[in-house]
Amino acid sequence: MTISRRIFVRAGALGLVSFGLDPLFLSRAAYAATRPAALPPSRRTLVCLFQRGAVDGLSMIVPHGEEQYYRERPRIAIPRSSVVDLDGHFGLHPRLAPLKPFWDAGSLAVVPAVGSPDGTRSHFDAQDYMESGTPGVKSTTDGWANRYCQNAREHTDTPFRAVAFGPQLPRIMAGTAPALAIDDLRSFGLGGRSGNSDRLSRAFESLYEGSATGLLATSAEESFEAIRMLKTANPSARSAEHGAAYPRGRLGDSLQQIAQLIKAGLGLEIAFADMGGWDTHVNQGNEQGQLSLRLAELGQALAAFATDLGDGMRDVCVLTMSEFGRTIRENGTGGTDHGHGTAMLVLGGTVAGKQVAGRWPGLGAEARYEGRDVAVTTDFRDLFGEILTRHLGARDLTAVFPGYVAGKAPGVISA
Amino acid sequence: MRPINLLILGASLAAAPLGAQPTIATPRDSAIHVLNRLAYGATPGLVDRIAREGVMRWIDRQLAVTTVDDPGLGGVLARFELLRTSQEKLARSYFEVQRERRADRRQAAADSAMNTMSPEERQQRMPPEARALRGLIAQAPQLVMVRAVASDHQLAEVMADFWTNHFNIFIGKNVARVYLPSYVEETIRPRIFGRFEDLLVATAESPAMMVYLDNAQSIMPGARPDRGALAGRRRRAMVLEERRPTGLNENYARELMELHTLGVDGGYTQKDVTEVARILTGWSVARPAQGSGFVYNGWAHDRGEKTVLGAEFPSGHGKDEGMRLLGMLAAHPSTAHYISGKLCARFVSDAPPDGCVDNAVGAWKRSGGELREILRAIFHSPDFWAQANRSAKVKSPLEFVVSAVRAVGGAPDTTPRLAGAVGRLGQPLYQHTAPNGYPEHEKDWVNSGALLNRMNFAMQLAANRLPGVTVDLDRLLPATADHAALVDAVDRLVLGGKMTPRTRSVITEQIASITDPAQARAVALGLAIGGPEFQKQ
Repeated sequence: MTISRRIFVRAGALGLVSFGLDPLFLSRAAYAATRPAALPPSRRTLVCLFQRGAVDGLSMIVPHGEEQYYRERPRIAIPRSSVVDLDGHFGLHPRLAPLKPFWDAGSLAVVPAVGSPDGTRSHFDAQDYMESGTPGVKSTTDGWANRYCQNAREHTDTPFRAVAFGPQLPRIMAGTAPALAIDDLRSFGLGGRSGNSDRLSRAFESLYEGSATGLLATSAEESFEAIRMLKTANPSARSAEHGAAYPRGRLGDSLQQIAQLIKAGLGLEIAFADMGGWDTHVNQGNEQGQLSLRLAELGQALAAFATDLGDGMRDVCVLTMSEFGRTIRENGTGGTDHGHGTAMLVLGGTVAGKQVAGRWPGLGAEARYEGRDVAVTTDFRDLFGEILTRHLGARDLTAVFPGYVAGKAPGVISA
Repeated sequence: MRPINLLILGASLAAAPLGAQPTIATPRDSAIHVLNRLAYGATPGLVDRIAREGVMRWIDRQLAVTTVDDPGLGGVLARFELLRTSQEKLARSYFEVQRERRADRRQAAADSAMNTMSPEERQQRMPPEARALRGLIAQAPQLVMVRAVASDHQLAEVMADFWTNHFNIFIGKNVARVYLPSYVEETIRPRIFGRFEDLLVATAESPAMMVYLDNAQSIMPGARPDRGALAGRRRRAMVLEERRPTGLNENYARELMELHTLGVDGGYTQKDVTEVARILTGWSVARPAQGSGFVYNGWAHDRGEKTVLGAEFPSGHGKDEGMRLLGMLAAHPSTAHYISGKLCARFVSDAPPDGCVDNAVGAWKRSGGELREILRAIFHSPDFWAQANRSAKVKSPLEFVVSAVRAVGGAPDTTPRLAGAVGRLGQPLYQHTAPNGYPEHEKDWVNSGALLNRMNFAMQLAANRLPGVTVDLDRLLPATADHAALVDAVDRLVLGGKMTPRTRSVITEQIASITDPAQARAVALGLAIGGPEFQKQ
């Protein structure tokens, strides 16, 4: 079963190669040829935020209505008195309180039991599966965000259609569609922030115009187009609006730069950022402690992002994700070990907010995964797929999530 | 503008499959070609030396190498402590660090100050042993750089890269990092010119592979170690052992066929994967106290009968049936075809021509999978020399960085900085997470961000500001106010004297207004290295 699926995927790509033509080259050439006639870039943006290390979903979205939760976690449960209640049963970690106004305004939904159908408890494998979009299949070469861009051709590509913040392109964006890894918008381009970057750009551009062919030529053209667009739009000059205060650190920086790209109207359709520090085996803490610090950073950054964009959030959806959840019972060192289902947040103007989405399996012994973890009632592809379809307008998910049979959409997108 | 480009490209694409054009290649052209493909590019003067020696003679010499390491590199390699550290010692130190970390955690559980530390702060508090281990492991990717830049056994280094990539290991997966150095030095490198089957068996018997693809945990369902195997162990360890989950793990079995031997279209089924996993139960890794090496655990092995690709494996066998299986996979026609295709993609063309693959497969059959003979067949294949296949492949980031440093006669130091540059261009060594290894096709390396990074790298190197590399530009390329002479010298150094008139005119124009000779040199050299011609091989 697994094998036939993989054969199918590869054969799809090889089929084109066997004509002696490079499918990527052809497709990029096709972009170029059809550019004037294509639709304008999508106005909508999806921002994916990966919490690497497996976040404890039960501390992020606290099932405070459940006695079992307090019995299993005598030291690290979030006391009922400090939970920010959402619906009488679930509540936000107190450090996520900055997100409560968005819940009240109907632009935040939470999915408390989402994850992978694959049972691995290896960070490496589970992150890989969540980014490739093919749980259980290791040799998928590209990521689902890139496959979305490869297949959803109704929008024109701009060089900024898919951007990941960080030094390297993450797995989720790897593949044949153009995607940019940007460490810092302010130093993107040639020569860093030195004075002669314009001259260098001109020099390299004329070099590639004259001598490059094929993919080298088109990619170089994209690069210089990106540099020019950045120079004209100058997104970095846009300061945070509406009193938004981004927290210091990489996550705040990345989200602020994503907001700048969105405001500059550069055609950003999928953005990606990640943050680590979620692997809390020891001294996880409750409303205080190490996990609370990470959650505080996350809450402040998301709230700042949404505040900064203001009305612009109408066309934006932010999705948090993490490779798996953590054990229901706390361990001997005041932490939690690798589990299964976890919680994800969906925030934005198109979100059917103020709801706990997906079925909550409960924490009772019979409801657990392998007797110890939160069960997965929403396949992550059900959630991601709904967002791709209803937020970005993807028409066909078969190539984005090969081998996936659509399940029940959690219903987090309203428009 | 674009449509015109496309027409021209369309014409050249259509012409390519027609094969070799009657262009006469000079000995220098041929030397440039073999240096691009069998080596990591030319060093100053090397094109002329090979042209004088005779290109075929040079190829034979590269193929005749008996020790992978160039003896001339002895002094440099001696500076890598990693090469003097045994796997056993690395493993011991790894598990020691793990133990300390656990103790630290228990301590931290009682110490509320630790609660508020960020991961970065805790990293800084890393004990010296942990830091030392991390530093040692960081030498592994830099060793690749130093050898690729400086070794005269260039083909051997190219093949070491090819096979460590074919049998990929991800350095970040748990304990795999301490197994990686011996995997490279003892499992792969000594066998790059031997028989494919020996290489396959060696990887199957490597702790690195067994851990990376989880075979170490593949145990016949319900099997328990016998008391004898547990003798002398602490009660707690015994209890843990008894609770160890059992069951088949098919990861290695699947990749063994899909990626290491038959190829995805090699004709196996999911049933074969399960049967192979059963045959390989018990192939595992010893405990740290026993040296952490490869071990075959008879107790974990499924002794029932199996059938793989129609061949019967009768019941009652142990490790021997695994060896038989590996032999069978190594000798399978699909394996010869799949791996020959991969070799031709590396040496000839991203879309390898059938003729060249057939030549390699023929040599595979004649020699029983002797890798040296298969390579020889490829290098004698008309497709390898065809004009259409020259300068037609885009360099990978590793090939680009190494060839650039070689072109300017640079010498990397032992710090991981040059390896870091390859990582920033998108190919962090030993950090490809999936078992398929880094790809060979240009589409995987050419994108706008990556291209800008290459240009920036080129400018840094040309200005002699690349950290971790020493370049003596004044000796190789004296600064001069004579711009025509400067561009000629850059052309010889970087492009083997094959710079196109268009590139020459752009570079000349760009440096025309620069009066400082050193700056003109940096710009001319940087444009040549970061320009389109040097991205090709």
